[in-house]
Amino acid sequence: MRRRSSLPVTFVVPTLAILLVLSMVPTLYAIVIALQNRELSSASYSWVWFSNFIDLFLDRRFLNAVWVSVKWEVVTVVATMTVAIGLGVLMFEVASPRLRNVYCLLFIIPVLLPRVSAAFVWKFAYHPLYGIATYPYRLLTGGLIFDPLSKPATALFAVASVDVWQWGLFFAVIVLKLLETLPPQPIEAARLDHARRWQIHAYVTLPMLKAPLISLMFVKMIESLRSFDLIYVMTRGGPGVATETLDMYAFSQGFIESGKVSYASAMAVLMMIATVITFTMLWKRVQA
Amino acid sequence: MRIGRLIGQAVLAIAGFLAVFPLLWTALNSLKNNVDIITRVPRVVFTPTLANISYILGRDSVLTGLYNSVVACGCAVLVGVVLGLPAAYAVARYPNRWAGDIQFFVLSLRFLPPVAVAIPLMVIWLQIGLYDTLPALIVTYSLLTISVIMWLAIPAFQAVPKEIEEAAFVDGYGAYSVFWRIALPVAARSLAGAVAFSFVLVWNEFLIALMLSSSNAKTLPIVASELSQQGMNVPWGILNASVVLLSLPPLLFLGVLSGFLNSVFRQKKT
Repeated sequence: MRRRSSLPVTFVVPTLAILLVLSMVPTLYAIVIALQNRELSSASYSWVWFSNFIDLFLDRRFLNAVWVSVKWEVVTVVATMTVAIGLGVLMFEVASPRLRNVYCLLFIIPVLLPRVSAAFVWKFAYHPLYGIATYPYRLLTGGLIFDPLSKPATALFAVASVDVWQWGLFFAVIVLKLLETLPPQPIEAARLDHARRWQIHAYVTLPMLKAPLISLMFVKMIESLRSFDLIYVMTRGGPGVATETLDMYAFSQGFIESGKVSYASAMAVLMMIATVITFTMLWKRVQA
Repeated sequence: MRIGRLIGQAVLAIAGFLAVFPLLWTALNSLKNNVDIITRVPRVVFTPTLANISYILGRDSVLTGLYNSVVACGCAVLVGVVLGLPAAYAVARYPNRWAGDIQFFVLSLRFLPPVAVAIPLMVIWLQIGLYDTLPALIVTYSLLTISVIMWLAIPAFQAVPKEIEEAAFVDGYGAYSVFWRIALPVAARSLAGAVAFSFVLVWNEFLIALMLSSSNAKTLPIVASELSQQGMNVPWGILNASVVLLSLPPLLFLGVLSGFLNSVFRQKKT
């Protein structure tokens, strides 16, 4: 009965066709634009083929942006997973079921906020004179000024902390739920063998959860690519170019500073190729 | 061991505090006059004012942004539901040899950097003459909502017990009415979570909206971010109020989404 129905075709084909058109048209067009020399200010353009790409590799600001993006990716993914596993295990160990529910609800709140909101909330909090997060420092040092967002050394970490605030707490909830799905017998067995609490988690529960934890990390790696909103609101890539990631640089080349749409698009195409290849390979490995 | 537990409890309590306090502080600041915000020592006691909130709600730009956000997100989610749910059901229940590839294709749309999509789309919409209009935004967001809803709804449909559907077939239901009358209602709770998630995702979207609008189609996040660029004299209270307004709609879904999380992991257990 199921086999002969027309349902799969009528349900899948239109949706996939629309998805294909909506995704392939901009993707291919991005490549086309990247091979031209379009600018926002003029309507005329010509084909310049790969010269945008060659310019990119000679552009030190672009190389800086690549480096900042890699740093951002590593810092946010590692910090998020550390916070998530730490808090998740802690909730599993010391919180009563009722407390767990309360924490789960609290920890989901930050991730639901628009990134723009989260960025503003923390931009105020990090304000050197009036911020609530810098207040303890002012109090302890008798009014010295600490401005994390305008120092090149700390700006990236200050912005990354907001990302971890959103995702680390949320993932802690997921780690807890994963721990709760484990069968109790191996934990009991380890306990009978006088394993310490941290040993149980390091050698029994976390290895059992290896596959879902890797998937979780994969999700975070993808979401970390979307750093633009936070950086745009909090630092605009500054101070200098200390927090200028690839999407921030592409945006400022294309729209703020010079309107070089083709140049920006060349950057976006490189990003797209890099992420699609990396994530496709990672995904196949995760699935295998 | 006792001390360890106590420290653990304390760390958790601090984390819980950190999770909500910044937001509560922002909400508190939105009720303050500027003098009470610009203080070196944070002020907890102050005379509250509704001036910021009424200023925000009285601004045309904010109201237009709110309207644009509601329409763009609402329509995109609707398109996502109409196109995404049936497709997800078909992939879940009529598996063929492309099912894995379809799922991967849908996921891979999430790999695309938003800039890479936004730049060409801007040029395209400019050429067609739809730049800075809501339809352009809705079409662009639909790509997001369809793929996310599909991705989350496939496991939700797979979790519906097959026996119920088989029984309905035996009772003479056709394939389409099994979808309408059985699968949809049974999976409704999880599906609501998926739909709510897609709404939060597009409501929070910033980069694409920033690139595809210049004046008419600005969504609320764009309007809120522009309020901060009013020169040296930053209207902190107003800014805080706009952050609160922007954050409220996603928080309304807190209950639905945490229920969704619970149901996802309960399925895994069994």
